[in-house]
Amino acid sequence: MASLKLEHVKKVYDKNVVAVHDFNLEIKDKEFIVFVGPSGCGKSTTLRMIAGLEDISGGTLTIGDRVVNDVEPKDRDIAMVFQNYALYPHITVYENMAFSLRLRKMNNEEVHRRVCQAAEILGITEYLARKPKNLSGGQRQRVAIGRAIVREPQVFLMDEPLSNLDAKLRNQMRAEIILLRKRIDTTFIYVTHDQTEAMTLGDRIVIMKDGYIQQVGTPQEVFETPRNLFVAGFIGSPQMNFLKARLVKNGGEYFAELYGVRIAMGAEKSAKLAAKGVGGQDVILGVRPEHTQLVFDGRDGTIEGTLRVNEMMGSELHLHVDLADGTSVILRIPTLDLTEEQRRGLIYGSKLRFAFPEKVTHLFDPKSEESLLF
Amino acid sequence: MVDLDYLKMSKPQKMLHDLGRFFTGLPGRVGRGFMKLGLNIGRCFKGLWLSVVDLITTFRDGDWKTRLSYLVMGSGSMARGQWGRGLLFFLFQTVFNLYMVNFGMAYLAKLNTLGTVATEKVGRKTVYGDNSFLILLYGVLTLFFVLAFIYTWRMNIKQNKISQQILASGRKLKRTKDDLQSLMDSQFHKTLLALPTLGVFVFTILPIFFMILVAFTNFDYNHQPPAKLFTWVGFENFKTLLSSGSASYGDTFKQVLFWTLVWAFFATFLNYFLGMFVAIMINKKGIKLKKVWRTILVMTIAIPQFVSLLYVSKMFAADGLINTYLMKWHWISQPIPFWTNPGWARFTIILINIWIGIPYLMLIATGILMNIPADLYESARIDGANAVQMYGKITLPYMLFVTGPYLLTSFTGNINNFNVIFLLSQGKPMGLAGNAGHTDLLITWLYRMTVSDTNYKIAAVIGIMVFVVLAVINLVVYNLIPSVKNEEDFQ
Amino acid sequence: MTNNANVAAGQQKLRSKRGHERRINGTIYTVLVIMSIVWLVPFVFLVLQSFRSYKLEKGGMVDYLIPKTFSLDNYAFLFEGSNFFSWLGQALIVAVAVAAVTAVLIHVCGRLLDKGEGEGRGTRVALLGGSLLIGFVALVGLTMALQGFALAGSWVKALISLALFVLAGWIMARVYLKQDSKLLRSIPGYVVEDKHEGLKKFCAMFAEFGALALIAQCILAPMTMSQYVRWYGNTLTIALFTSVIQTVIVLSVSYALSRLRFKGRKLIMNVVLILGLFPGFLTMITLYFLLKQMGLTQAGAVPGLILIYCASSGMGYYISKGFFDTIPKSLDESARIDGATRFQVFLKIIMPLAKPIVIYTILMAFMAPWGDYVFASYVAFGHQDGYNVAVGLYNWVNTNDFQNYFTRFCAGGVLVAVPITALFLALQKYYVEGVTGGAVKG
Repeated sequence: MASLKLEHVKKVYDKNVVAVHDFNLEIKDKEFIVFVGPSGCGKSTTLRMIAGLEDISGGTLTIGDRVVNDVEPKDRDIAMVFQNYALYPHITVYENMAFSLRLRKMNNEEVHRRVCQAAEILGITEYLARKPKNLSGGQRQRVAIGRAIVREPQVFLMDEPLSNLDAKLRNQMRAEIILLRKRIDTTFIYVTHDQTEAMTLGDRIVIMKDGYIQQVGTPQEVFETPRNLFVAGFIGSPQMNFLKARLVKNGGEYFAELYGVRIAMGAEKSAKLAAKGVGGQDVILGVRPEHTQLVFDGRDGTIEGTLRVNEMMGSELHLHVDLADGTSVILRIPTLDLTEEQRRGLIYGSKLRFAFPEKVTHLFDPKSEESLLF
Repeated sequence: MVDLDYLKMSKPQKMLHDLGRFFTGLPGRVGRGFMKLGLNIGRCFKGLWLSVVDLITTFRDGDWKTRLSYLVMGSGSMARGQWGRGLLFFLFQTVFNLYMVNFGMAYLAKLNTLGTVATEKVGRKTVYGDNSFLILLYGVLTLFFVLAFIYTWRMNIKQNKISQQILASGRKLKRTKDDLQSLMDSQFHKTLLALPTLGVFVFTILPIFFMILVAFTNFDYNHQPPAKLFTWVGFENFKTLLSSGSASYGDTFKQVLFWTLVWAFFATFLNYFLGMFVAIMINKKGIKLKKVWRTILVMTIAIPQFVSLLYVSKMFAADGLINTYLMKWHWISQPIPFWTNPGWARFTIILINIWIGIPYLMLIATGILMNIPADLYESARIDGANAVQMYGKITLPYMLFVTGPYLLTSFTGNINNFNVIFLLSQGKPMGLAGNAGHTDLLITWLYRMTVSDTNYKIAAVIGIMVFVVLAVINLVVYNLIPSVKNEEDFQ
Repeated sequence: MTNNANVAAGQQKLRSKRGHERRINGTIYTVLVIMSIVWLVPFVFLVLQSFRSYKLEKGGMVDYLIPKTFSLDNYAFLFEGSNFFSWLGQALIVAVAVAAVTAVLIHVCGRLLDKGEGEGRGTRVALLGGSLLIGFVALVGLTMALQGFALAGSWVKALISLALFVLAGWIMARVYLKQDSKLLRSIPGYVVEDKHEGLKKFCAMFAEFGALALIAQCILAPMTMSQYVRWYGNTLTIALFTSVIQTVIVLSVSYALSRLRFKGRKLIMNVVLILGLFPGFLTMITLYFLLKQMGLTQAGAVPGLILIYCASSGMGYYISKGFFDTIPKSLDESARIDGATRFQVFLKIIMPLAKPIVIYTILMAFMAPWGDYVFASYVAFGHQDGYNVAVGLYNWVNTNDFQNYFTRFCAGGVLVAVPITALFLALQKYYVEGVTGGAVKG
């Protein structure tokens, strides 16, 4: 159990390829931090630097109150779960889990106690005498986790631990990790490319792209107030819709004009925009698919589009709609909100109108891609 | 040219285009090669210059411990409490100094003449003079030692600089115990590679350097140390080997080189295709006893070649089983001159080599054939391909792609394939200038030059020529391989 | 009607296809049978001629195949003047006796251990140690009795043999204790995965003690040797040492180049690539000179050859590096995080996984010295006691007295070929893995 501090941490490969730029982050004791981002964003590299598997090219890394830049991984008191589990194929599950303890010259009884306890927690007691090749994917995953928890490490690192599992097992393991976290209360750093995992697991999420941190915040923060276009697009599924709009200032109030519709931004947003000194300008207006509504009564302030694809997801419909200028948006409509008749009308090529409340919109500067509301 | 245009072309057009592109690209590639070389040389000089600058600044910024290390290696480390490192440096310097003073200097000084004082007989006693062989060998060794010393000295200075920086930043230096532990961990490669590197240096690098230098001397049966001296002669030996004339070996060299290449070609490709063919036969669905066939063929790999090849060579001799039986059955009246006629001898060698070589290829091809994804064949069959087409469009390209590097190593190996020639024909029938035979490869010729003719200077030149031939072949093939890869990527 | 015709045509087609298939298979079988004959005939001839007496039916390759009388004269000649068989018999008796007694002993110790279940670890170890010690004393006595009085004069020799057996016993005891760890047994669901584990361990023990007994025999009562037995012994010695040392070197180098990242790694690989393009014999005279300086030529040819075979063997790292490259890197990383040093990773994680390539490397290193003529003859330089079999037999075939020695060459060849071939065929699987892996990766 320890806090971590990364100050100006940097990773440069072969003198010119920079994988991680100036990474600054403070991780509190017992916090569950998730690094998320598309592949190649530097999240795994950062994790591997924390583990000591990659040299740190610049900056300092502190675990507890010890600078560990030049400390070998074995002396950092960390444990790690790998994407492909990295179980030692030639020894039994028991010995796999006991491996690190034996290296520390722990006495047999204690080793046995810890291995059995961890196996108990993870429900793999009956497989202890097997070799890893005789286990299923989910069981291997548990062994990998078990091997890490017997260590009782200060920091628990997980590198995309669920990405080799099928969808059903992944959901199940995700829930188990949440439970596990309740039982062994220590600092977790978790790397994933899957925003759902990030949202459900993390106390705080670190969103990365091209080696830069894009935003750090609780799941709610990054969902509700994305700092830039990338974060807005990355978090949430289906992806947020981005519409070209014109921001107009009228007295103390701001309006967005798009597709011939004028939407008032409301007092709260106007105050923020005014504080930033934003004038009339082109903006990108972001709306999440789940915040849209279909409008059938022909009232004002709605946008018209042509339906291209209608995906029936069971409890909801995903409607892919093309707007007048060819922009494609997705609407996520709960099935129960529509009458049978309305639903039957949603066929390829049919015209429809939709609207969204001003409260849920996001505004981004098209050039800097930064949020105008932050 | 746009890729689509290329895809539209017919096969001959494509080949023509590829060939054209290869040759038009050649100057550029060669140019780039030279540029790279130049850049590297430039970088070397820059590195040297930076080192010198670093040496000066380190001295300027160094404390007394660092400065003392310029004279007495390791003293800085010892003064900072790193006894292990310091002692090693110090020991190295001491050994080096002792070596140079007592031994190395004398040899190094004579390296330019390889000795001047000849061995003489004074009355009954032999008074030994300089020994050119030792001078050359130890001279080379001393040169290496000096280079190693300079490198170590430089490392010693660098260590001091780093130690100073570490101390200045308030961190602790590594103790001897840490150093020793790191040899099992972060410096484990040093532990692993120390002995092998030493072995390769003493038993490969040093001898090769020595022999390369011998190629520029007149070291032969007339100049055998310690009785006689030998000395530098420049490119004389290369002239002897490469130019044609009555006293030169140019014609022989051409013939031997030609046969070497012909042999390597047949030994590689004939075996390759026949071996693949056999593998396909054995692995065909419905053929039984696969394991038995394989085991029978593998016998020629298992049985030591000196038994099997010596025996077979006797079988083909004039009084060997083959000739005597053929004569007994009155199929022939004269023994077939398997080993005495140049043409027959070459043919027989290639034939017998098939016997030795097919099993290797059969095993390799079997392994690869099993790895060809079955769905490739299934999809080809659905597309309407027959067996021959499937072989031509799938099996062969796949094999060639996967075993491309192997073919190269195999070709290289066959150029240096001593055993087969030596155990079968010993290069006979003889009859070429320079004591070479019609079935001699460069390597067996080199062997005879060394062992029976003690003509070391020419042997050395032949060795260098083998290197040149192999280097050229390797470079050309390596340059061609990427283009192959692009078109037939099965990954 | 048309339907029936279609069916008939279809059957016709199928039948013709089947006939076609049968013809092809027939051709293939014919080719394979012919090939098999060609491949085996020389060896059959070799064996046949080895039974033609050099005394009664003199001559090189005479114009008939099957000897008029089968005789073992050639084989007898190879062993003439050597007490090889009685020597070997002695060693084997010792080995069998020692192994059997030790097996019983360890078994008894195991029982004792199980009985002392409630007691402390110290008691158990004392029990085990005590019984082993008593066993060893008995064993040494047995060895001495079997060896006659060869031992009496030399306490050094006696101590050496004692040390060897203590070492072996210690190793066996450790193996046993590990297998039978009670903690392991107390795990719920613990099962022994391999039913024949016990048997395998006993076999390994027999082999181990056999080898030890042979070594002891070599030290205690060296045999008197004929020329051929000496050559054979030389080759075997060279092959054994080379296979061990070379394997260690090759694995070290390939492991370092495959899994460790350090400055100069690429440089080493490039230098080796370039050095590999020089023909090996180029350096022969220099090597001879270097060995001569160390006193390792002629009479010292055996250690000299071992040195030559091993010294540069690090350059042949390609195939095993290729193998190491296929082991996931995350295993190393995981072990390092678990607290292992790189050395421990090498020893505890990678080596156990590298068994196929270790066997391949040993096999290759063991087989190569049997076939080497060039260096062996050059280093021995006419000194007959320093020959290996290849040089000795080559000289028999290429003497002026070829007619006289040919059948003896055949017999000698058979004795070399049989064990090597058996070994090779037994380990064929690993060989195939090695060469295919090597060919695919270059």
